[in-house]
Amino acid sequence: MSEKCSATKRGEYWATVRANKQIGERFYRLGLEFSGAGAEAFARVQAGQFAELDLSSAALPSAETIPQELVDAAGRKILLRRPFSFADVDTRDDRTLVDILYCVVGPATLRMTTLAAGGSVSVIGPLGNGFRVPDGKKTALLAAGGMGAGPLQHLAKILTADFPQIDAVAFAGAKTAEELPFERRLDKIAQQLEFSLPEFARYGVRSLVATDDGSAGFAGPVTDCFSEWLGKSDLAGESMVIYSCGPEQMLARVAEIAKTRNIDCQVSMERRMACGIGICQSCAVECRVADSAETVYKLCCEDGPVFDSKEVVF
Amino acid sequence: MTVSRFWFMEETVDIPVDFAGIRLANPVFTASGTSGYADELSDFMDVNALGGLVTKSITVKPRKGNATPRIVETDSGMLNAIGWANIGLDAFVEEKLPALDKLSCAVFVNIAGETIDEYVAVAERLATAEAIAGFELNISCPNVELGGISFGTDPSQVAAVTSAVKRAVGEKILMVKLPPAVTDISVIAQVAVDAGADALSLVNTFTAMVVDIETRKPVLANKTGGLSGPAIKPIAVYLVNKVYNEVAKGFGIPILGMGGIRTASDAIEFIIAGASAVAVGTANFIEPGCAVKIIEGVKEYCVRKNIANIKDLVGSLNQDLTD
Repeated sequence: MSEKCSATKRGEYWATVRANKQIGERFYRLGLEFSGAGAEAFARVQAGQFAELDLSSAALPSAETIPQELVDAAGRKILLRRPFSFADVDTRDDRTLVDILYCVVGPATLRMTTLAAGGSVSVIGPLGNGFRVPDGKKTALLAAGGMGAGPLQHLAKILTADFPQIDAVAFAGAKTAEELPFERRLDKIAQQLEFSLPEFARYGVRSLVATDDGSAGFAGPVTDCFSEWLGKSDLAGESMVIYSCGPEQMLARVAEIAKTRNIDCQVSMERRMACGIGICQSCAVECRVADSAETVYKLCCEDGPVFDSKEVVF
Repeated sequence: MTVSRFWFMEETVDIPVDFAGIRLANPVFTASGTSGYADELSDFMDVNALGGLVTKSITVKPRKGNATPRIVETDSGMLNAIGWANIGLDAFVEEKLPALDKLSCAVFVNIAGETIDEYVAVAERLATAEAIAGFELNISCPNVELGGISFGTDPSQVAAVTSAVKRAVGEKILMVKLPPAVTDISVIAQVAVDAGADALSLVNTFTAMVVDIETRKPVLANKTGGLSGPAIKPIAVYLVNKVYNEVAKGFGIPILGMGGIRTASDAIEFIIAGASAVAVGTANFIEPGCAVKIIEGVKEYCVRKNIANIKDLVGSLNQDLTD
């Protein structure tokens, strides 16, 4: 992808809201449309790149729909933009359509739920570096925890379209079936590798589901499911590449598995960000320096958010 | 800029400012730590449209900065505790200075250190750099263990570091950035001016804390951070007015005013309160091109109010409280 996707010019663009669909208790899928320069800038976004949305002028939802633990924070005036990666990017004529998968976690994402079709939102992007496809890989393993499934759906699409020689398998986990950010109800899902998640199946990518409480698919952390699958596989480590996005603890475990089995692994990190454009230095990720015991802070926004897992100090 | 008032005429207005002996195209800067080394903002605005910019803090040696989380948003504001993460003096000279040399706006380098010698070392090395109009002396950063605000809150240290750096900067402008949370900011301002400051910049961020009530821990790894953004603007306007009246006006020392500026109206408030120029800080994170809009807005205001020279607006606070 690094070769196929030339760098696009980042900037501030206005997007029109196409849809903002609730797909779970806390999960939504926001569809945005860019035209003109914005359409050009976002047309070749790499999976794992992100954008900063200004949600400060979005309205609050009605009081009775605000989750109890967000009631106190809900009234807070939003100042900073919020970073989101993309679950899908599509071009139609001279427009670019993007989907953002998001979860209501605080006052800004709470307001985000009221963005309505036809409205507009200011977007800064595309930002950061996405997932890369190293030469010679035959199998891509996509390991998602919770909302990490978003950018990995975009990656599945790109792998299928641009790298037909690569076979991709997705692993998606959450604490419970309720917390899996997919449109289909998954509580009865089998613990078998099949085309069970439409979000991945539409690109011909098989998937396995895991829940910590066993309410859907594999009972246990998605990393155990992933590790078990690898244990049964007879694929050579160097023919595979792992892409992971999810909570940091999970990424750390994926990185460990990758190291043990000597598999290339890229992780998408998350940090609190103020600017997203390399200025504020807020989003530091501690990274190793080659052949040294020293570490440096790299920026999640500019050096990442996708890092080689060997580089990151978890 | 052109403003059409009548069908038969277009008025144009320039708003140049004299600032500590140099001529600025306009009174709008971007503030230290919010505009990087200029190149980061160039995708979003014409940096040359600015009156000036202040670089991120430079220290003699590169600094990693603090652990994360380094920021947290608050109501209409944010706390940061970056800890002077920067590439260090050598890399700054090699990698950043050549690009700054090409800018036509005034470039000020924010210098920081843990000891007076460290401040002086940065100033000495850059004193002859043509790219640089002057320095902003950071003696008010609340996020480092040594240096920063520990200098700025002690009048004898303010005098010592200001006079030492003043000797090192040669012909360049020395602007001292004041800490806002002191018993009397005018005392610190006066000491800085007496020690040779050519200009004052205020305010730096206010030391603040956010607590996670579930864990009962501070949210920031550094425990405290500096509060910036619209939340601090009225306090900053007050402090600029106070320092203007009590120190700067009498000595003819210009003030670079800042704290929560997002719009032209905000900038004009600071100028009326006594700032000769203003700096846009946190707003650069949200709307990276907003400084240009602010410049245009200040021009429009000058046209609307028939202000021929923006100098006439500086410190023009109307003290007449009758209607």
